[in-house]
Amino acid sequence: FSQTLIMSRKMLIDGEANNNISNNEEEVQYDFDLFVIGAGSGGVRASRFSAQYGAKVGICELPFHPISSEVLGGVGGTCVIRGCVPKKILVYGASFGPELEDARSYGWELNEKIDFNWKKLLHKKTEEIVRLTGIYKRLLSNAGVKLFEGEGKVVGSNEVEVTQLDGTKLCYSAKHILVATGSRAQRPDIPGQELAITSDEALSLDELPKRVVILGGGYIAVEFASIWRGMGSTVDLCFRKELPLRGFDDEMRAVVARNLEGRKVNLHPQTTLSELVKTEDGITVRTDHGEELVVDAVLFATGRIPNTKRLNLEAVGVELDRTGAVKVDEYSRTNIPSIWAIGDVTNRMNLTPVALMEGTLFAKTVFGGQLSKPDYSNIPCAVFCIPPLSVVGLSEEQAIEQAKGDILVFTSGFNPMKNTISGRQEKTLMKLIVDAETDKVLGASMCGPDAAEIMQGIAVALKCGATKAQFDSTVGIHPSAAEEFVTMRSVTRRIAFSKPKTNL
Amino acid sequence: MATSMSTPKLTSQKALQTLLLYHTANSKLPATLSPHSSSPLSAFRTLTSLSSRCCQSLSHHRRRRFTTRAESENGAEPRSYDFDLFTIGAGSGGVRASRFASGFGASVAICELPFGTIASDSVGGYGGTCVLRGCVPKKLLVYASKYSHEFEESHGFGWIYETEPKHDWSTLMANKNAELQRLTGIYKNILKNAGVTMIEGRGKIVDPHTVDVNGKLYTARNILISVGGRPFIPDIPGSEYAIDSDAALDLPEKPKKIAIVGGGYIALEFAGIFNGLKSEVHLFIRQKKVLRGFDEEIRDFVAEQMSLRGIEFHTEESPQAVVKSSDGSFSLKTNKGTSEGFSHVMFATGRKPNIKNLGLETVGVELTKNGAIQVDEYSRTSVPSIWAVGDVTDRINLTPVALMEGGALAKTLFLNQPTKPDYRAVPSAVFSQPPIGQVGLSEEQAVKEYGDIDVFTSNFRPLKATVSGLPDRVFMKIIVCAKTDKVVGLHMCGEDSPEIVQGFAVAVKAGLTKADFDATVGIHPTAAEELVTMRTPTRKIRSSSQGKTDAETKAVAGV
Repeated sequence: FSQTLIMSRKMLIDGEANNNISNNEEEVQYDFDLFVIGAGSGGVRASRFSAQYGAKVGICELPFHPISSEVLGGVGGTCVIRGCVPKKILVYGASFGPELEDARSYGWELNEKIDFNWKKLLHKKTEEIVRLTGIYKRLLSNAGVKLFEGEGKVVGSNEVEVTQLDGTKLCYSAKHILVATGSRAQRPDIPGQELAITSDEALSLDELPKRVVILGGGYIAVEFASIWRGMGSTVDLCFRKELPLRGFDDEMRAVVARNLEGRKVNLHPQTTLSELVKTEDGITVRTDHGEELVVDAVLFATGRIPNTKRLNLEAVGVELDRTGAVKVDEYSRTNIPSIWAIGDVTNRMNLTPVALMEGTLFAKTVFGGQLSKPDYSNIPCAVFCIPPLSVVGLSEEQAIEQAKGDILVFTSGFNPMKNTISGRQEKTLMKLIVDAETDKVLGASMCGPDAAEIMQGIAVALKCGATKAQFDSTVGIHPSAAEEFVTMRSVTRRIAFSKPKTNL
Repeated sequence: MATSMSTPKLTSQKALQTLLLYHTANSKLPATLSPHSSSPLSAFRTLTSLSSRCCQSLSHHRRRRFTTRAESENGAEPRSYDFDLFTIGAGSGGVRASRFASGFGASVAICELPFGTIASDSVGGYGGTCVLRGCVPKKLLVYASKYSHEFEESHGFGWIYETEPKHDWSTLMANKNAELQRLTGIYKNILKNAGVTMIEGRGKIVDPHTVDVNGKLYTARNILISVGGRPFIPDIPGSEYAIDSDAALDLPEKPKKIAIVGGGYIALEFAGIFNGLKSEVHLFIRQKKVLRGFDEEIRDFVAEQMSLRGIEFHTEESPQAVVKSSDGSFSLKTNKGTSEGFSHVMFATGRKPNIKNLGLETVGVELTKNGAIQVDEYSRTSVPSIWAVGDVTDRINLTPVALMEGGALAKTLFLNQPTKPDYRAVPSAVFSQPPIGQVGLSEEQAVKEYGDIDVFTSNFRPLKATVSGLPDRVFMKIIVCAKTDKVVGLHMCGEDSPEIVQGFAVAVKAGLTKADFDATVGIHPTAAEELVTMRTPTRKIRSSSQGKTDAETKAVAGV
């Protein structure tokens, strides 16, 4: 063991050649080389990889519960317990509704009435996340990471305190502390807000709400709109902007809005909620336009905030930004050299694979002897509305803003082959943004069935600077939707470069 | 100028030389390559707009006069032709070549047999195999048959049906055929809008510049043969009882119990279709494994998954006879015995190029030993004015490849750009259930070509299956050249494989490395993200230890 420790120490020094660490620190004996607070995607990855580099690692996490709070969490974190995974399971479940409708035109004779048993799906979902949290625990123990159950706090630049379930406190010293506590859904401050739920509860409701209002226009809002609508509920989606999914390509936003409407989600653009009132019949929701809706559930999908409140960070001098996120440099290091942070708690790009990347590169930097910065360019992502949206690289608007020359836009809107027989009126849209001078593909987006699966390979191409000519030289896979990405021959529009206005 | 409009030529000296380099076998300078006329590009543009304006109103006769007059003015051409290009066969390759040629300013005619779902010497239809008897109807039936699996999955996700869904074959056939009618119409419109003259009937080559359709003669500077292929059934006793894929796509009723003979992609696809539609399916293959030529691990994996879905495999069984019994059912006699009680026996035993009755012998177009039309890298036959693309040349028999060949040919002939189709890293799919997507080399091919390779594999249960409780799995494989780190092969079997592989095909075609894959962030949660998160090689194969490679491979693979 001591051998390992010495080895890892040595690596630490190599890895930190550029950072000023006081010399006498080397002689200090710590309980751990690394102590991680929060065992979500980023924390688990960083712990495991650090341990593989020879570090002695401890990690703490709150007790498991599907709905998080200050004192409840679970190994696996948001992604596994109340994010990506359960959400995707519900999206799968919801997709069957419209699928079954489509089956009739393909010759399938189904009962008029098809039932959906929410409780069964919920049970399956819980089973699956319990299984996964177990897998995560095993991953940690197999990597030799010591797991503590309890609430972690930073009490010094090299000191953490873990309050266990029974109230006893453990105190450990660590050469490095990594904050990976993630984020939580936030609630807007409107009268009756306590009647509403967040995505945590929405993934664990006892009953399927038959009538829902969703407040928010982000990806979580549109995903839940699709989930509940697919299960047959009436869904009203209220959002502040004219279109949902601010920050995404405008044309794709319009397609998502059109598809939601096509699947009978009621859209309320430029609308916010002013009041929620409990009534006999459910919850009465008032919008700022004076509309009144009576529903069974109200979901706030109005953003997430970093989990930094009870970590005692400010007391030890760790700087937070105004949203409460931990401020870090390019290597995920806070202003206190021994304290680092990754994942949603740093509010950089809040995606599981990004937290994984940050965790991996943290371990490499601190214990692997190689300074490694995460690269945030061309990170693909997906919105699992039905049908899904997936993008990589720049939107048309971003491309125009960053342009140093003309931009070529290639789009393809088509009726997917499956719809030709089902009669479903829903077009798929694909889009490539190309730099006219270099021929580099700057952005790709798609809204339609399988978009998320299709985009992954496209992302590899974009990450490596593939040109439109390289797309064109690739032969299609026929018949697929994805082949459209390599057969967009004629440019839809060319956007001439206009010099940005300056103050000079 | 007018000459160049209707008879564009390859005039760039450099391009010509490039082209000539590849013409050692047919060293005689062909007519289309004669360097005497100069054709400014502006002329093409004029005609392009002209042809798109006039499209249908520009009759065959007007075009002809136009050409003749122009050429007599120029005086350089010894004879005039009705068309710059006459295409025989309006399938994927023929339509693409014709449209593009017309777009580049050529006068083009195309002939095709009357529409019908089952091809014969007198029946075909605009759109060809892909649209009428291949990719499209097949995929529609795959969609239809996949639902039964989805119904099963949906149980796990809380969906309940009072009675199990039943399938009505005739609804499906009616809706499918309506869609095919629509598509063949679209193809006709595409040709019409491109200004291509359409002639219905069987084309036969009379001389290097003349095609006979229903007794009428048409002359053309260039003739393109794009008549495709047709299913082949071996000549065994009772083979007349067997159906081929044409018939299988348009049966009057759903088979109760079907024997499918063959281990290729068509056999697997139909096995999946009929199995999904609840027929009892028996697959008879001559070899030990299905899909000869595919990556070995993929071959094993897909067969295992298909067995789990209820398809019965009969391996190493060669068909010897089909026998009709008194109750109207069929038996299949093989080297291993007789299987009885089939409502249908289907042969998916390969396809052959459609070279009969084309007049190829009379003009001296050479064939390969497999009976395909022999062409050079520019799709030119042994007769300089006759060209061929698509399945009739039996190169890579895929629609997108025929499109590539057709597009390249139009460029070569009418755009001054001698263009060779590029057959490297052509991706393809098998729409079995689960489907397969692949691009580049199999492990076996990669070992042969590169010696030292690293193989990354992943065999996992997808999220959907963990919830549905079905035994579905996904298998993925990346093959990397150890020396260059280049990804030389990528294979996948599992849901959405064809859609997933397309983007990766761009990456493989662009010559990207494993490090490039690793640098890409995943899309979570998807199956595809697995392909960018394979960190540890499953095995490293080094040529120094090649003697034991095989055994090692099999031991570690363990699919």
